[in-house]
Amino acid sequence: MTTMKRALALILALIMTCAVFAGCSKAGVKDSDITAFDENAKYTYTSWASGLASNWNPHDYEDANSSDMMSYLIDSFYTFAFNDELHPMEDETRTPFDGYVIIPSMAADMPVDVTKEVAKEHPDWVPEGAESGYAWAIPMRKDLYFDTGYHITANSYVEGMKRILNPDYQNYRSTDVYENTYGIVGAKDYFFQGTESFQSFSDMGTTYDDYIANGGSDADVVIDIGGFWGIQTAEGKTYESIASETEIRDPAVEEGQPEDYVSAKYLWDNYLGPNSTSGYYEAGYTNQYAGTVKVYEDNVNFDDVVGFYAKDDYTLVEVFNASCSGFTLFYNAIQDSLVLVEPDVYDKCITTQADGTYASSYMTSVETSPSYGPYSLTDYQTGKLAHFSRNDKWYGYKDNVNNVYKDPEDGNIYRLYQTTDIEIQVLAENSTAKNMFLSGDLISYGLQAADMNEYRNSDYCYDTPGPQIFFMLLTGNIDGLNAREAADGFDQTKEDIQTITCESFRKAFAVSFDRQAYCDETSPSLTPGFGIFGKTIIYDPDTAAYYRDTDVAKQALCDFYSVDVSQFASLDDAVNSITGYDPEAAKELYAAAFQESLDAGYITDADNDGKCDQTINIIYAVGSDNITDTMRLRSEWMDNAIVKAVEGTPFEGKVHIVLSSPLGSGNEFAEALKSGSCDVCLCGWDGSAMDPYNLLQAYTWDSYSYAANWYHPQQDMLTLTINGEEITMSVYDWAEAVTGNDTTVNGKTYNFGTNDADQETRMHILAGVEGKLLQTFTYIPFANNGSKMLLSQKVYYVTEDYNAVMGRGGIAYLKYNYNDEEWAAYCEQQIAEHGQLQY
Amino acid sequence: MVKYALQRIVYMFFVFMIISFMSFVLIRMLPLPALAPNDPHTTILEIRREALGYNKPYLEQFWIFIKGIVTKWDWGTSEKLFIGRDVWGVFVEKLPASMIVNLYSILWTIPVGIALGVLAALKKNTWVDYTISTLTMVVISVPSFVYAFLIQYILCFKLRWFPFVMKGGTDYFSWAMFKSIVPPILALSFGVIAGFCRTTRAELTEVLTSEFMLLARTKGLTKTQATVRHALRNCFVVVVPAIFGEFIGIIGGSLIIENIFSIPGVGNLTINAIRATDYNVFMLSTCFYTAIGLAAGLVVDISYGFIDPRIRMGSKK
Repeated sequence: MTTMKRALALILALIMTCAVFAGCSKAGVKDSDITAFDENAKYTYTSWASGLASNWNPHDYEDANSSDMMSYLIDSFYTFAFNDELHPMEDETRTPFDGYVIIPSMAADMPVDVTKEVAKEHPDWVPEGAESGYAWAIPMRKDLYFDTGYHITANSYVEGMKRILNPDYQNYRSTDVYENTYGIVGAKDYFFQGTESFQSFSDMGTTYDDYIANGGSDADVVIDIGGFWGIQTAEGKTYESIASETEIRDPAVEEGQPEDYVSAKYLWDNYLGPNSTSGYYEAGYTNQYAGTVKVYEDNVNFDDVVGFYAKDDYTLVEVFNASCSGFTLFYNAIQDSLVLVEPDVYDKCITTQADGTYASSYMTSVETSPSYGPYSLTDYQTGKLAHFSRNDKWYGYKDNVNNVYKDPEDGNIYRLYQTTDIEIQVLAENSTAKNMFLSGDLISYGLQAADMNEYRNSDYCYDTPGPQIFFMLLTGNIDGLNAREAADGFDQTKEDIQTITCESFRKAFAVSFDRQAYCDETSPSLTPGFGIFGKTIIYDPDTAAYYRDTDVAKQALCDFYSVDVSQFASLDDAVNSITGYDPEAAKELYAAAFQESLDAGYITDADNDGKCDQTINIIYAVGSDNITDTMRLRSEWMDNAIVKAVEGTPFEGKVHIVLSSPLGSGNEFAEALKSGSCDVCLCGWDGSAMDPYNLLQAYTWDSYSYAANWYHPQQDMLTLTINGEEITMSVYDWAEAVTGNDTTVNGKTYNFGTNDADQETRMHILAGVEGKLLQTFTYIPFANNGSKMLLSQKVYYVTEDYNAVMGRGGIAYLKYNYNDEEWAAYCEQQIAEHGQLQY
Repeated sequence: MVKYALQRIVYMFFVFMIISFMSFVLIRMLPLPALAPNDPHTTILEIRREALGYNKPYLEQFWIFIKGIVTKWDWGTSEKLFIGRDVWGVFVEKLPASMIVNLYSILWTIPVGIALGVLAALKKNTWVDYTISTLTMVVISVPSFVYAFLIQYILCFKLRWFPFVMKGGTDYFSWAMFKSIVPPILALSFGVIAGFCRTTRAELTEVLTSEFMLLARTKGLTKTQATVRHALRNCFVVVVPAIFGEFIGIIGGSLIIENIFSIPGVGNLTINAIRATDYNVFMLSTCFYTAIGLAAGLVVDISYGFIDPRIRMGSKK
């Protein structure tokens, strides 16, 4: 999911940076029709960040800071542009700047399907009988250059592909080329040449049963012992034959305890094999953790195996592992920005280390950062600042076809990218940023809780909703909680934690918090959240339509929160009435939870006073290196809320939320929740902002799911009526089917992917799964993310309306009220008059 | 003295190697960040870890590490914080910013701190002494980051005398750069001035009441002559090593001050390296500070011999 997040972040950054160009007539507008900016003036965009990337190599970057830096220096074949008169949407009812269109950027035209042609030349690259969707030819512009002067042709991309897939370099982003659904044909074979690796039955697109039925042998079956059991062989291998009886020490189990040593055969016989009684086989784990060993041929030739080649100087052909078209082709499949590098500089940056490995310093400094995007890196100081100036070799500044837009306010035509310079500096303290913003040194400032009263109603305050839902994740790992209670130092006569697994308690917990009050008092940039999917999750990328705005999504929430829609004038009114807060119901549920917990033997009531004898301290996991004031504020707010919620119940004064020690900024908090060593946290999933179906994997795949240790989507059945047919299958299977995977239930195979089901059907499934996930009371929706920021008087957005794909236009569309010189004078005058800029 | 110094240098080398090895093993014993199962990048990271020798015995890893340094002055490449970059290059790039700020700070805090301490001692039990001592206590009690925020708010935001943060670039001796580092210098200085002042006052007060001072006066020296020639020199037996200690701090950087004033220094390099388990960055900074610390210890010890003739290093008698 992190991968997906980062990849999407980069693509979106690209969109924002390079957005626009095209759609209008090939001739473009005349120079005389374009309202020119002052050519001699400087328009500097001064921003800040708490950290600066140290590496923005497209082949090897790992974090969002890197993609931010990269976004100014790279470009893409296709991009998004606001819809306007020059780039109209097909839907004529749309008004300018309320949507977007996909247009060529570095490409000269739209891609051409060449599947048939490629199938003839390379029959092994395209599935037999396939006639479309697998191979695409991209016509390129001829005026593409790096700022070093290197001319970009189709072959430049091929050279880039050879380097990103070079097995010696072990590039982090190579996986994005060979691994994803629409990976390039043969890329994996080239990258892994001469090696062998585990491939699960799922990876092979089959099941264990089918594999055996089709003549496969158990002798060839291996278990992913690393993934399934967290162990490896003495040779360091993470997979082992199911026939192997070699005992392997499991470091997670104390010596002398059961299963301190296990063999692959033991795991097969007891857990994954068809004769095991664990239920794992029936739940589908076997296909995920068992498979065969794939041996990759050695010394393969790139041109022979990789479906990525130059048809001529300006036509690049890409062949994908899966058929794609439309939005998916542009957004998910075409590989360009990740691949293209300046080969001369790139090769000079490769060094061999003392340990024999390779390292690359490409894109780590001004000298090693060739740009083919709208800006060039002109200054960089590690951990301090980065400065970008216009890249005069970028074709876009001379392009009257795609590099122009019609302003919806004044009706004039302008060029994109009025910004001439971009400066990013590192600031660790928010107070410094605020003071600098109020002095005119920064373009924007993200509002903090303490700033809200003063600035939330400012004309310069922009509210940006996000796609992410933060939910209270309540652990349900009873084994983990039992272990905690059994440990030394835990006095079961005075404390209890197992009660949080009682269904009534979890339901009570869910309705104990006034989400609106939480947002107002602790995080004003957030808004209350009630579903699994956030406000700006787009279900139809072609129209930028939000899932949460659909009737089916609204109905799902009303069903879960028991809102009787017939009591309201409209579905909108009904869904707007949801608060997720019901103190009365909470008290009743806590009373029920008391009895449930007593019956389970978790708590006692020795004096029969109807009150719980134990205190329940719910540990709130801190996923950070340190505890910030905001975390403390939120935790205290929750504690106060829960204390109030249990007043007058058997748990009065007995339930508290307490902060854990900082668990680190990685995934440690999730591990703590999964293992039951912490009890609750506020977290959420982002990424897949335009593909909520794919986001379901975060909840249904054990490898991602926070709740994998206690919620088993393979066993949670859901019945939905699809096209008149009542279908019952597990939540896991529904999620797989709706993401386009063949799913066989009772001998019948279903697939509700993009190409196999209409949007309405898919949404119906999505809403059904969302409702089912909510009913687990593991994911208790709490808040929808968002941000509020002040925008400097120096600039303004071409549109005030936020669009989840285009934002408000980003750097490409940003316009200036003042150039640098005028701005300095304005600030001086304002500060002399008021002491600071007035917002 | 020479023999003593050489002996100490040999000991230093062994101590350095032991500390380096311990640090090397301890950092590598820290669990590496868990890799997300099913994330395709996990495969790459596992391959990298294998190639980087993470699964080899610690001794073998340490040997590769030492061999790289000795044969090629190769401290390795950063694996997390500055991916792909030579860690020595990064360290050397960041060191001057920390040094320049701390150096300026020391250059004026030592004379000011000592002068105030001398003044307080000479004016003992007068309003001057009370004022200096009270201010010293107040300043020492308040952490430097509090001054940092106050200085930034008052001098940079309200009065607009200085930029908010350190200027970018490497023109460390330009006027613009100096102006931009005045706020962090001030923030760093208050505590140091107070420290020197307190130490000097305490030592000088004690020396001034010694019997040899009475003897010096009875021999006909003026109060100033006796103070400068005898009292101050004795008092410096304690003060000078403290000055050396402060100089060592120059290259250490200051985590909080560097953050507040956006100084691209080495202040938080080691901590970040531990957090990110960036082995090579951690080892370079650890080795560097270990070497500096050991060398400083030697310099301080030897300095005693020069300052106070009564102390003779390595003498058997």
